[in-house]
Amino acid sequence: MTADAVPEYARLFVEGLKEADVSVVTALPESLLASVYRLCAADNAIRYIQVSNEGDMPGICAGTYLAGKRALMIMENSGIRQCCEPVARLAFQHAVPMVMAMSYRGEWGEQNWWGHNHAQTMAPILDALRIPHRFVTEHAEIKPAIRRAFKHADGSNWPVALVFSGNCVELPAYAKD
Amino acid sequence: MRRIDAFRAIAPAIAAEDLVTTSIGATWDDWWNLKPADNTFFTGVLGSVTSTALGLAVSLPHRRIIAFESDGSMLMNTGILCTLGAERPPNLTVLVFDNGIYENIGGPPTLTSRNTDLARMAEGAGCLNCATVDDPDALAERFSAMLDDGEMGYLVAKIEPGKYPWEWKDRKPTDGIEDKYRFLRYVEELEGVVIHPGAPQN
Repeated sequence: MTADAVPEYARLFVEGLKEADVSVVTALPESLLASVYRLCAADNAIRYIQVSNEGDMPGICAGTYLAGKRALMIMENSGIRQCCEPVARLAFQHAVPMVMAMSYRGEWGEQNWWGHNHAQTMAPILDALRIPHRFVTEHAEIKPAIRRAFKHADGSNWPVALVFSGNCVELPAYAKD
Repeated sequence: MRRIDAFRAIAPAIAAEDLVTTSIGATWDDWWNLKPADNTFFTGVLGSVTSTALGLAVSLPHRRIIAFESDGSMLMNTGILCTLGAERPPNLTVLVFDNGIYENIGGPPTLTSRNTDLARMAEGAGCLNCATVDDPDALAERFSAMLDDGEMGYLVAKIEPGKYPWEWKDRKPTDGIEDKYRFLRYVEELEGVVIHPGAPQN
């Protein structure tokens, strides 16, 4: 695959955002969803706001929601540790719905020693924040998962998380088997 | 200049159609007492007052958005300055009330009381129209100009350190949930949109 080729998962991801009327995407780029960040940044229908710290993103999403629009924040699963405080306050104090997407670093078969703690801490932190999460591993799941995530967040007045892994990231962990 | 004097200086420039986010504690109590209205989202998250305003600004580019920040809130997440410097939303004005202390918890110093200059940090991060003022007349003039100049603005108002609490009966009586709904319904009316509809039947 050339550098400019678009992986199928990324094409479906961005199409899913548009079908769900997402107008703002804020992200701290990482490697596992690299094509998603690239596509969003190049898409005129999406206001792509790159941050330098995941802690910026909950406020951006909250402001977008309060404006009557839809935003998605995207990060590696380690990012939930960095944005835990603003997510907690916007949820518990203000009941602001929020949709976050994260790549699942630390997938079964992860060979990077530094990646395992990301997986080990992700679910306990999401559970502590009472944030429901769903794994998205196959292409056919991407669009319905995005659509339902916004419905679930809006209906519950609470954040939700989509965790992308398997065939829905750049290079699945098992690809190096 | 006390913070309430600063608020009094800029309040006439803010219209009901403008949308505002504000930092916590005595800052929002001042604003609540001076100009109670539902066009303000009382943002109970130190470090997220400006990022929430940024979300409003990019989503409602036709509307003036104002963030009332505090030095304690800005210092909690200075990375947002780099995001602002990259995005430069033309309809956003950030006003930081900088008293150099954490007033709400009794007054220990913040780091702006040492060597930190927030306006110079913002300028270095790429923000436009960054300035510091320390008297009400200069504040009113610069703030009004920033609202309508078609560019982002980042204004630091140096205010007197000190503790100026409102009596309990005069403090903002609403909690964060009520604050959300009041603001949300106001935006619905203002923009003619539905943000939070009722539940469907099935």
